[in-house]
This record gives sequence, structure tokens and C-alpha cells, in this order.
Amino acid sequence: MRLLRRVPLSTKGDLWPEGYDCIILDSVDSTNAEAARIAGDLKRPTWILAKTQTAARGRQGRHWENPVGNLAATLVMRPGGQAQEAALRSFFASNALFETLALYVDRTRLGLKWPNDVLLNGGKVAGILLESMGTAQGLDWLAVGIGVNLLHKPDGVRDAAFPPVALFDEGGAAVEPDIFLNALAANFATEEAIYAEMGFDMIRDNWLKRAARLGEVITARTSRDEITGVFETVDAYGNLILRTKDGMVPVPAADIYF
Amino acid sequence: MAKNSHAGDVAFVQALAELLRDNDLTELEVKRDYAEDDSLTVRVSRQTALMVSSAPAPQAAAPQPAPAASPVAPAPSTPAEAPSDPSQLPGAVTSPMVGTCYLQAEPGAPSFATVGDKVSEGQTIMIIEAMKTMNHIPAPHGGTVKRILVEDGSPVEFGAPLMIIE
Repeated sequence: MRLLRRVPLSTKGDLWPEGYDCIILDSVDSTNAEAARIAGDLKRPTWILAKTQTAARGRQGRHWENPVGNLAATLVMRPGGQAQEAALRSFFASNALFETLALYVDRTRLGLKWPNDVLLNGGKVAGILLESMGTAQGLDWLAVGIGVNLLHKPDGVRDAAFPPVALFDEGGAAVEPDIFLNALAANFATEEAIYAEMGFDMIRDNWLKRAARLGEVITARTSRDEITGVFETVDAYGNLILRTKDGMVPVPAADIYF
Repeated sequence: MAKNSHAGDVAFVQALAELLRDNDLTELEVKRDYAEDDSLTVRVSRQTALMVSSAPAPQAAAPQPAPAASPVAPAPSTPAEAPSDPSQLPGAVTSPMVGTCYLQAEPGAPSFATVGDKVSEGQTIMIIEAMKTMNHIPAPHGGTVKRILVEDGSPVEFGAPLMIIE
């Protein structure tokens, strides 16, 4: 299922960041899949907003429900550099999403879980999935997919450790996806500017201020094993650093539980 | 700690790459001795992007596939002679990042490529995940998959050889 309608988001007011395009689709298989299709011809960083997704997905092909009224958006860009650097945008995305949600709920009820989960009242209010194409010779493109339970929380979710919640149910306003995206896009552009001017250290420091369970014992479940330790920090490459009895262990890829 | 020194290695290579670019050099080779039998040799060249070769140090054991068991991973036995380093073979596809590699899009899905498959340029041959970023590795050129040097779900290091396509 491809797009039915393209609408330039030029009338959205002053909040929309300069230098970014927007495509609004009535329906698409998934905004990340659309991002991969258009990446080759991309002129500028572009947000893709879909009212519905027919084949929404999460990490490792996990099902992601996307009822109308929730946000389904992907930023596709070709920032150059290396794939390793592109992956740092996981932290840009979660910082930007945290700040956007903080427009609607008390920020003390929000928390970040490494690397890019945003928790509201301890529940999963959003999912962020980045996909990229890149070799040792450099990055081709990057897609930052963001789904937010604005109005509805999904049913039948397996990950009971962080039960799904919706912004509206938790006392937030009933916000339209395109309005929410305006602020999210602006906040993401701010993260890009902070990175360009001040480097990843500043992004990371801000992320750590918003992190849940910093200094406490958490568990990282990788594809091969489970590492439990004190959540010490995030390093300059974005790795989660756990202090275990065997020393500091950097974790580049894992699911986090606490 | 092996993993900690690895983070330092990545920073070291990145610093060299910057040095190369900033000074308009075409090639730079540096050897770092950590201990008697533990060293890192890095050659950075502008034509071929980043080439990393590690001496048979204890650290280098981590990203290697586990021996035996899997039909997809004929583990590179590490003989003493340098030319057998798979990352130096023509047709070697190396990892652009530190992370976890996946040979299929999701658990239970068919593999992106198996030994003997013909692949075309740009086709995704595996995914490496770091920071919840799923980076697709495209085939750098068309050809036949000769070897797959990593196992599904295994950790990979920067510059690690992933697949040989000839």
C-alpha cells in the first residue's frame, strides 16, 4: 500500500524547522519502508507522517499497532559520516520526544530508558526504530521512525515489563498527530544543532539528566546473554556502561529491564 | 577489559582518519603496542576508506564466530600468516560499526544471503544493530557469497570481516 496523498507542510506555522520537508500520507505500509524508498532521491531531511500504517513494525520485526490518532512518523535524512555516528541519533530522537511530551505532561513523570525508549508513568508511550544503510565507506541514508501512543494504547502487548500507555489516558491533552509532529520536528532540529555546535557530549549529558534508573541496578538482555550491573553512564559512542563485578561493561545493543 | 580497550581503538582510528583528512594525506600506518603479545596495527587510507587489522591479541577473539556447530560460519582458524586475515581478502565486506549482527530481518525470517547465493550490488546482506539503529549492510558489488564469517546474533567489532562476496 503506497501513499494516497502528498501534502506539503508549508502552512504549519513558525514552529516547523527550517531546512526540513514534510510528506503527509493517508496510508502507507510503514513510514520507515517509505523512507527507504524515497531515500535515494532525497533533497533535504524529510519527515513522513502517516495517518495509518498497514504494516507497522518495531525492532526485530515486532508488531506495532498504529490506530488512527496516534503518531506514526519517520525522519529520513542523508547526514553523511559513518553508520556508527548516525546511530547516535537514537539519543537525539529520545531527547526530542521527551521534550515534546513534556509540553503536555509534567516532565517528572517522563523518563528515558537506554537508548531511546520514552517512559510515561513507567509505561511505554512510544517506540523509536532507526534504520540505516551504510558500509565501511560511509552512510547512505538514515531513517528515524517514531511511533507515539497519543490517543490509544495497543492491546495484547507482550512486553509486560513496561506496559503500554497513551498520552491521553495518562492525563495529557488530546493532541493531533500533525500538531505533535510540529513540535517534535522542531525539537529534533534543535538536537541536530546542539550536536553540530557542541558535540555528542552535550546530547549525552542532557539524555542522562532525563534517564530513569541512573546509578541503579538494571539488566541488559543481549541476543546472547544477560548482563546485570549498575547503570553507570553512556559513553562517547552511545554504549550503555554497566558496572559489574567484572568491571565496566559497554553494551552497544540490548533490551533493558528494571 | 577487552571491550573498554575496543572503545579506545575506535577513538584511535577515528582520530587517525581525521588526521589523514585534515592533513590531506593518502595513507597512514600506526602500530600500538599494549603489551608484549597485544598490539593493534591500523592503516588508514583515503582510497580504500578504513582498513583495520588487529594482531592476534586476546581481544581479537571476541568477535570471531564460535567454532564448529554452524554450517553458515566456517570459522577462520587464525594461522600465523597475515594474508589469511579475512578482512584482507578481496571481496571481504567489513563492519562499519560495533554492534550485534543479524543474518535475517527478524527471527524466523529467511536469511538475507547464504553461502552460494548470488547477490546483486546494493542488496541487503545483513543488519548490524547498535543503539537500536538497524544498519543494513549492502552488497558492495554483485557476486556469489563465498563465506559468511559471523553468526546470527553475534557481536561484531568495527572493521570486522562479515562476508566474502566474489
